[in-house]
Amino acid sequence: MKKLILLLNQGCALTWINFKSFPHRIASSSISILSIACVAAVMLAVLALTDGMVKTMARTGLDNTLLVMRSGAVSELQSVMFPVEVNILANHQQIIRDKNDRAIVSAEMFVNAEFKSKSGVNDQSLSLRGINNNTYLFRPNFKLIEGAKFKTGLRQVLVGRSIARKIPELKIGSTIILGDSSWLVSGIFSDNNSVFESELWADIGIVQSDYQRGNTVQSVRLAMHDGTNINKLNEVFEADPRLNVRIIEEKVFFAQQAQDLTRLIRWIGSPVALIMAFGALIAALNTMYAAISSRSKEIATHKTIGFTPFAISISILSEAMLLACIGGLLGVLPLYLFLNDVTAATQNANSLSQMMFNFKITPFLMAQAMLLSVSIGLIGGVLPAIKAMRLPVTLALRDN
Amino acid sequence: MMNNNIELKAINKTYQKSKNSTDNQVVVHDNFNLKINSGEFVALMGPSGMGKSTLLHLIGGLDKPTSGQVIIGGEQINNLNESQLTRWRADNIGFVFQSHHLLPVLTAQANVELPLALTHLNKSQRKHHAATALSLVSMADRAKHFPKELSGGQEQRVAIARAIVSDPKILLCDEPTGNLDRKTADEILSLLAKLNKEYGKTIVMVTHDLKAAEYASKVINLETYTYDLKAHNVQEARL
Ligand SMILES: Nc1ncnc2c1ncn2[C@@H]1O[C@H](COP(=O)(O)OP(=O)(O)OP(=O)(O)O)[C@@H](O)[C@H]1O
Ligand SMILES: [Mg+2]
Repeated sequence: MKKLILLLNQGCALTWINFKSFPHRIASSSISILSIACVAAVMLAVLALTDGMVKTMARTGLDNTLLVMRSGAVSELQSVMFPVEVNILANHQQIIRDKNDRAIVSAEMFVNAEFKSKSGVNDQSLSLRGINNNTYLFRPNFKLIEGAKFKTGLRQVLVGRSIARKIPELKIGSTIILGDSSWLVSGIFSDNNSVFESELWADIGIVQSDYQRGNTVQSVRLAMHDGTNINKLNEVFEADPRLNVRIIEEKVFFAQQAQDLTRLIRWIGSPVALIMAFGALIAALNTMYAAISSRSKEIATHKTIGFTPFAISISILSEAMLLACIGGLLGVLPLYLFLNDVTAATQNANSLSQMMFNFKITPFLMAQAMLLSVSIGLIGGVLPAIKAMRLPVTLALRDN
Repeated sequence: MMNNNIELKAINKTYQKSKNSTDNQVVVHDNFNLKINSGEFVALMGPSGMGKSTLLHLIGGLDKPTSGQVIIGGEQINNLNESQLTRWRADNIGFVFQSHHLLPVLTAQANVELPLALTHLNKSQRKHHAATALSLVSMADRAKHFPKELSGGQEQRVAIARAIVSDPKILLCDEPTGNLDRKTADEILSLLAKLNKEYGKTIVMVTHDLKAAEYASKVINLETYTYDLKAHNVQEARL
């Protein structure tokens, strides 16, 4: 026990000295610090991105909402359904009816609308969703934050908050060009940061005619009674020769989409992060090797005085980790300061239109990035620490 | 340690130039014997490359002989393992080199305190010990200064303070005045002589400077000593 305290004492004394002289070495350590900073930043970005997406998507779907598309369609964009089908679905006993004995059904049309901005710089593809009055029932988190809902039969759009923030032209009262026709922005809505906030909503009738869809729709949302057995329902619908549809709980649908997206990001992000981490490791290794060879006399002196090789290696390791911590903070803090809570846009993998989500840099994610940085430092410091341990004292002292 | 006698018995020290071949050997010491008594101040002289530094390293446990025994104060140190040797060194040996090897980021006081990190002394005891060592080398008033704010002679004084702070019985000095002018060298040498006489340190000092050797109680010229040793061995063999 006493021995251990002595050993720690030694290690601390040398570590303290190394830390004290560290400012002199900041310049020569800058490459490893920067490369570790990059790794931490990329890692944190990937984590925050996927985390933000999952949270956004998870907020989007409802428990008791059944989403119906054409069978084989992966996303709403690829689906097409006919009014007869909608009627058959709506008349099933598991579907909730309102006081007028009409089924609560939202038939929706979802298209990519080419937005032509006035300046031309903001031209992009936006998600335009044609909806009816029932649709609002399926969006319990819907909140009109400015203006009014669109008026049925008029070329008016209700704009999601996220996309409105991103494109300033989408403000109340302004007229915008979508495809070939102009639309009036009637209001801005929020929906608990869900995917819908990235969309523009308009009267389905007008969207159908604008995009020459006749009276077909793309997806149907139905309110189910509690405890509906989805599998049974599916069997019923599949057995019906008039139907050719795929049903899925809305919540499950969005969760799957989130999974696809995050998987994509991880597939791209992880190898990049890995390669960068490897590079940073080499840089750290290099820096620490250089540090000990330029300090071989100092290390030899410590050994001569009677410091144990173990204490010396501890001090080298601590220095490598200090380096890594500085790098990690340098990568993490700017992201936290400038990107936390920023809304980011991505191409939705399935719909190829914009999806917005919140970039939340939580302490947990930061801790993960820091952990990675420190590990790089630790691993990069091991070999140099061993080299310092083994450094032959007599050789180092000889060349005066 | 019962005494501080330094004994080298039948020392062989060879260096291998390249690891695999045997023909590239450098024989530095061959059947070398030496005895230095407790309390002596020995000046070790001789031409460059004779193995003076090597001897100091062997005595100080920084290096091990290829064969033979190194016995310090009755303890055969060449059989100790690396960590035992490290511990032993911290307790028994103070080194002074031609370059002071002080840490530039630490004050004189902190530099001198450094070896005490190896002891069980508490912080105030360490401070006290270091201050005592510094005043012994007449550097008390410079305790707060950094090495770069000191002259070469002052730096060497601090280095000596660091070597004696844990009160080792033996001081090993490798050309301690090699970098200093005459006057400063004389001051350092007087200091060493004082440490020898008043504090009973056994000192082995390698030097090229005949004047420096005058401060010692005994001078060993490695060249003639080795020659005599060989002749002696030969005689012994003949008898
Ligand atoms: N690691 C080593 N490998 C090979 N040869 C070595 C090694 N270390 C020392 N030598 C050789 O051993 C011999 C003695 O070296 P040493 O440094 O002890 O001499 P010295 O008497 O102190 O010389 P100087 O007065 O120049 O300091 C030299 O010939 C040197 O080249
Ligand atoms: Mg020498």
